[in-house]
Amino acid sequence: MKFKDYYQTLGVARDATPDDIKKAYRKLARKYHPDVSKEGDAEARFKEIGEAGEVLRDPEKRAAYDAAGSQWARQQAAGQGPGREQDFAPPPGWDAGYEFSGRGDADGDARDHSDFFEALFGRAARGQPRRRPEMHMAGQDHHAKVLIDLEDAYQGAQRGISLRMPALDDEGRGVLQERVLDVNIPKGIREGQHLRLAGQGGPGLGSGPAGDLYLDIAFNPHRLYRVDGRDVYLDLPVAPWEAALGASVSAPTPDGSVELTIPAGSVGGRKLRLKGKGIPGNPAGDFYVVLAIALPPSDTPKAKAAYEAFAAGSDFNPRAHLEGGTR
Amino acid sequence: MSRYQFTTEVVEEDVHLSLAELCRACHAPEEQVRVWVIEGVLEPVGASPQEWRFKGPSLRRARLALTLTRELDINAPGVALALDLMDEIAALRAELRRAGEG
Repeated sequence: MKFKDYYQTLGVARDATPDDIKKAYRKLARKYHPDVSKEGDAEARFKEIGEAGEVLRDPEKRAAYDAAGSQWARQQAAGQGPGREQDFAPPPGWDAGYEFSGRGDADGDARDHSDFFEALFGRAARGQPRRRPEMHMAGQDHHAKVLIDLEDAYQGAQRGISLRMPALDDEGRGVLQERVLDVNIPKGIREGQHLRLAGQGGPGLGSGPAGDLYLDIAFNPHRLYRVDGRDVYLDLPVAPWEAALGASVSAPTPDGSVELTIPAGSVGGRKLRLKGKGIPGNPAGDFYVVLAIALPPSDTPKAKAAYEAFAAGSDFNPRAHLEGGTR
Repeated sequence: MSRYQFTTEVVEEDVHLSLAELCRACHAPEEQVRVWVIEGVLEPVGASPQEWRFKGPSLRRARLALTLTRELDINAPGVALALDLMDEIAALRAELRRAGEG
């Protein structure tokens, strides 16, 4: 396990004041918030920043982290040999004397912590519910993001979805338990929608009912299609003569291939709409074919001759609109 | 490892959440959700909090509002503004995607 430098993650000095840390954290959190940021790795960065912030903004956790860090640094300095320098393991009993009260988010919304964090703060930080047999309480609702294929939304599907869920073991301690759920993906589901699985969340306390599980649906990126809400887009390459003269071509859709009429005189970028062939529903989405004119290569004498014959028979000037002015 | 099987509901289409259900689903205190309603972050139907029914898409909005509140320390009017701006960004990005740029 690598030692995580939370100070470096936030770009602050080890002796930074709580205000400095807060400021640096907020700035980075805003920058990498996955709902705002366009950075490709925003989600991963946001998670790292969140974890660093969770530790360094909490005086108890920061003190514990600093203590573990300086102990680790001493071991490094004592020369435990090269090759070991990346390895970090919390020294036994290091956390004696620290009691984590857990901040406001002791609601068990299990933030996905790194192994490093888990090793340091482990269960103590997870705000595990204490066993109180006389208490009856509904279990917590859980959330998980799942990726499905666009085709599943067209046809509906049953998918085994594997989740690591926080659960209580026999002694009432929080553990991560892997389970596979056979989930019915309803036909017509769209990205960003949620599936609710009643009673599949956290277990209730006492005779309280179990919580619900919410699955946040997203699509795997598709080789051919772009999705926008209910509508689906395909870039369809056509030859110049197909666009100019019109043609009947076949195009794939997630529902199988369709015969498509390209109107004569089409230009690149023209959108042909197949009404109701997007994601099914009420109303169903539309399927758009966006024409992309593909130029045939001119790498054979025959192809060159064809281009030359075409040029000879045409007075087409692609730059006509540029003429007659430098202003 | 065990396998389970069951049917599912699409929150955005089949489900209307009560105040208590929404709070449970997004792990937000009731007081917080009431403030969001006052600020227009969420717009339930129903006259009183007991009668409030939140449409399915409120779940995503409430979860986002909670992140902004907790992770970025933004107050309720700020959350309302941020969510409106995010909606606008989403609409613009969708427009870009339709144009084949995105």
